[in-house]
Amino acid sequence: MKNPKQNRIELSSLKSFNRKFFDGEEDFTYVGDGSLGGKAQGLAFATHLLKNNISENEFPGVVINIPKMVVLTTSCFDNFMRLNKLYDIAYSNEPDNIIAYKFQEGSLPVDLIGDLRALIAKVNTPLAVRSSSLLEDAMYEPFAGIYGTKMIPNNQPDTTTRFRKLTEAIKFVYASTFFKEAKDYIKATKNRIKDEKMAVIIQEIVGFRYDDRFYPTISGVARSYNFYPMGFAKPEEGVVDLALGLGKTIVDGGVSWTFSPSRPKSKPPFANVKDMIELTQNKYWVVNMGKPPAYDPIKETEYMFEADLTDAEYDGTLKFIASTYDAASDRVKPGIGYPGPRIINFSQILEFNIFPLNKIVKKVLDTCEEAVGTAVEIEFAITLDKNDCKPVRFGFLQVRPMVVSDEKVEIEQEDLSPEKILLSSKYVLGNGTVDTITDIVYVKPEVFEAKYSPEIAIEIEKINKSLIDNNKKYLLIGFGRWGSSDPWLGIPVNWGQISGARVIVESMFSGMNVELSQGSHFFHNITSFRVLYFSVPAGEQNNIDWNWLKTNNTVRQTELKFIKHIELNKPLSVKVDGRKGLGVIFK
Amino acid sequence: MATKNFNAFEMAQAQFDKVAAQLELDTATRNLLRQPLREYHFSIPVHMDDGSYSVFRGFRVQHNDARGPGKGGIRFHPQETVDTVKALAMWMTWKCSVVDIPLGGSKGGVICDPHNLSLREQEQLCRGWVRQLSKDVGPLRDVPAPDVMTNAQHMLWMLDEFEAINGAKYPGLITGKPIGMGGSLGRTEATGYGVIFTVREALKEHNIKPENTVAAVQGFGNVAQYAIELFEHIGGKVICVSCWDQEDQISYTFKKKDGIDLKTLLGITDRFGGINKIKAKDLGYEVLPGDKWIEQEVDILLPCALENQVTADTVTKIKPSVKFIAEGANGPTTPEADKVIQEKNIFIIPDFLANAGGVTCSYFEQVQSNMNYYWEKDEVLSRLDEKMTSAYLKVSELARQRKLYMRDAAYVIAIKRVAQACKDRGWV
Repeated sequence: MKNPKQNRIELSSLKSFNRKFFDGEEDFTYVGDGSLGGKAQGLAFATHLLKNNISENEFPGVVINIPKMVVLTTSCFDNFMRLNKLYDIAYSNEPDNIIAYKFQEGSLPVDLIGDLRALIAKVNTPLAVRSSSLLEDAMYEPFAGIYGTKMIPNNQPDTTTRFRKLTEAIKFVYASTFFKEAKDYIKATKNRIKDEKMAVIIQEIVGFRYDDRFYPTISGVARSYNFYPMGFAKPEEGVVDLALGLGKTIVDGGVSWTFSPSRPKSKPPFANVKDMIELTQNKYWVVNMGKPPAYDPIKETEYMFEADLTDAEYDGTLKFIASTYDAASDRVKPGIGYPGPRIINFSQILEFNIFPLNKIVKKVLDTCEEAVGTAVEIEFAITLDKNDCKPVRFGFLQVRPMVVSDEKVEIEQEDLSPEKILLSSKYVLGNGTVDTITDIVYVKPEVFEAKYSPEIAIEIEKINKSLIDNNKKYLLIGFGRWGSSDPWLGIPVNWGQISGARVIVESMFSGMNVELSQGSHFFHNITSFRVLYFSVPAGEQNNIDWNWLKTNNTVRQTELKFIKHIELNKPLSVKVDGRKGLGVIFK
Repeated sequence: MATKNFNAFEMAQAQFDKVAAQLELDTATRNLLRQPLREYHFSIPVHMDDGSYSVFRGFRVQHNDARGPGKGGIRFHPQETVDTVKALAMWMTWKCSVVDIPLGGSKGGVICDPHNLSLREQEQLCRGWVRQLSKDVGPLRDVPAPDVMTNAQHMLWMLDEFEAINGAKYPGLITGKPIGMGGSLGRTEATGYGVIFTVREALKEHNIKPENTVAAVQGFGNVAQYAIELFEHIGGKVICVSCWDQEDQISYTFKKKDGIDLKTLLGITDRFGGINKIKAKDLGYEVLPGDKWIEQEVDILLPCALENQVTADTVTKIKPSVKFIAEGANGPTTPEADKVIQEKNIFIIPDFLANAGGVTCSYFEQVQSNMNYYWEKDEVLSRLDEKMTSAYLKVSELARQRKLYMRDAAYVIAIKRVAQACKDRGWV
């Protein structure tokens, strides 16, 4: 892997904000003289890459660019904190909402607000206000989904209201630096929260307005390395997730359409059409351009809501991406020319190539991977004009390096005898060997029920905290998909609540039909922290030696209502062969 | 304050005449604009604490209100003259016009020394002033504000008297009120910040980064303090400030080559704004005579104290390194000195543009008071930045296009707007 420093874009090579936005020539400008933070640094680099590597004519009829953006560098954050004397409350253990309100009461630095007002006076389209943290920059590792992002509709007729909404969003992102999840996360990275500073990206949202909804036709996340190759796909071919509407669906682990860029026409392995109807996207995130919602500046989704597919059909956006189930023939027909349930499978694009999405994604992935020197993950948003009057727009939103271990791990068949192992799985994420873990935290199978999963998350957080305080990594075993936003599908932890886990096991209960994947933010944190992740499908729970966990001699143990923590007298040995997707934990 | 041989009104008229000629204004417009529309001279009897009665002389001059209600401060000073007040009223007209706020120019004063008056006596003076003028000032006619030796308390007494006379609440009568009593957030900072907004834009235009600049400041009052704060905030360095020493009755310059520390200096400043010499020396500051601020090897001079400070004598002491002068004070440069500055090719941001942040924020206060709805500080200061920046850019653009000296360009814009308003109303 190349030293990421080679890819740094220095502030001096960028243009400072000149109070123009859409009128300005520059796509990327900044305010202040601090750091850009990790996300903005990645985007500055991507701007440079796209300019130099993808010519305007390479994909006729498609505009590829980075949405216009201004970065408020970390010096603006420093000034805001100092000016409003917010450090005490920020470092305190006050709940997130109290911290957020205190930040809302603060005033932004005087040298910043004139620029913001000039920006907002000229811009009437929705804006994303995104975090870009100093530590993720310093560590060359993104903290995916740890800090706040706020979408604002920015369509109020008067500048004053738009200005106020923008400043509220900025203060929310600043406050999110000190939310509990972020503090826990930072602790797990061995950094100090006092070293963290926040830059803020103000960026146009790629999309069109349809009635009260504003959204891109397609959002996507593409990775040049696939930790979950299916069928004939190979890890090196990468993987792409697509969804209708804002990218929140994908990054939060909602339902998306997954394919390999080398085999775009291969469908995900649905057992039957019924499964396909049930397990493809049926809701999508949009920016609320309509009636103002209840005032709640400290809520991340204040101006967002989930719309139904019927809305998208009314908007005319389904025609590019949906197919229709024909009950008479029990077949899925491309397009929406027939009545019947719609299925978001992007077949017009992936099978009939109405625009070269796959080629563009591959080109961008290859370009980024070569420049970064390691596997990468990118985020993008695409608009297709339903009247075919405007060119297709491919908006590049994010590039992050991925951590892919190249350690060679061999697991022999004879190693897998049940007496020796605690568990094994053929669905494993990561690569490498860990033989230092003496602590196991597991959800007690005899008391587990999905309805208890929110309570379980709270119990895990307690144990996680005490283990982190004692500087101990642990093996975590539980049921359903970790980090699920739906408590019925898994334990709804955020990353900070399990940040001390070095090895994670998700075991599926029958009836818990959950695909083996996570939201891209959760997923990214798993890979960035080199967590070894085991999935044990429904029907294979017996592969876990629960009895050994119960009866094993332990140095000490803590038992809560749903969770048990045991400390072993000798470390476990964990091996994951990423190439074969095989993993084993030896007793 | 006016000194011997210096008549502020004559100077203001001379400046106007020069620009009127450039604009080729007709005689009627010139005659209208070189004199105030209205002048009020009156007596204010006050029952003193010792049982005696004193009669104070008060003024209000309304120079021009073609663009909107008059706006201007009230000064309490023993050496106040009507000519000074007339000049300042005229400058207010130009100042409101150059930043394009819908107000005219006024000024008022009372010949008195508040140092020698008890608070009760000052209150009587304020109420007496309003009683004399209650028919001629008001939110829609003429809006007073604090100025030399008057403050938020004086404004509140005046407001109270006006409301008592008129039998209703009129928070828009007066500006400079305390926060929570009709005052605006950001008002304290506005003038100083406004100076630096214009400096920032000037530096941008000249492709100079603030972090590569050093400034010397005359004064250490409200304007200077906030100008220093924001200047340092945007990356600049201030190496000296000068201030009046109440005890010694002379001014001193406090210099530190590595840059002054505003917070520390504020910590050793008395209630009159004078810095403690002994403590400053202990902190490593050089204590120099008061006029030394102008002789420093710096890029920017910020006269933020009194009028008539850069004179034919002192202007020769300005070092060749100085590229910018931003006049935070009213009328700090005499016409003779102005000529020299122009010859030296120093870029000047004239007073009525540079320090218009104060009146702009007063206008915001009046707007808020009239609505009885008050903005957040971000809102006030961002609007201030917008107004000041846009005013500066218009002036500098005209200066570039017509190769005018900045002061002349600012006057051209301001006077043209007022003259046009008078014409549009059919006055001339």
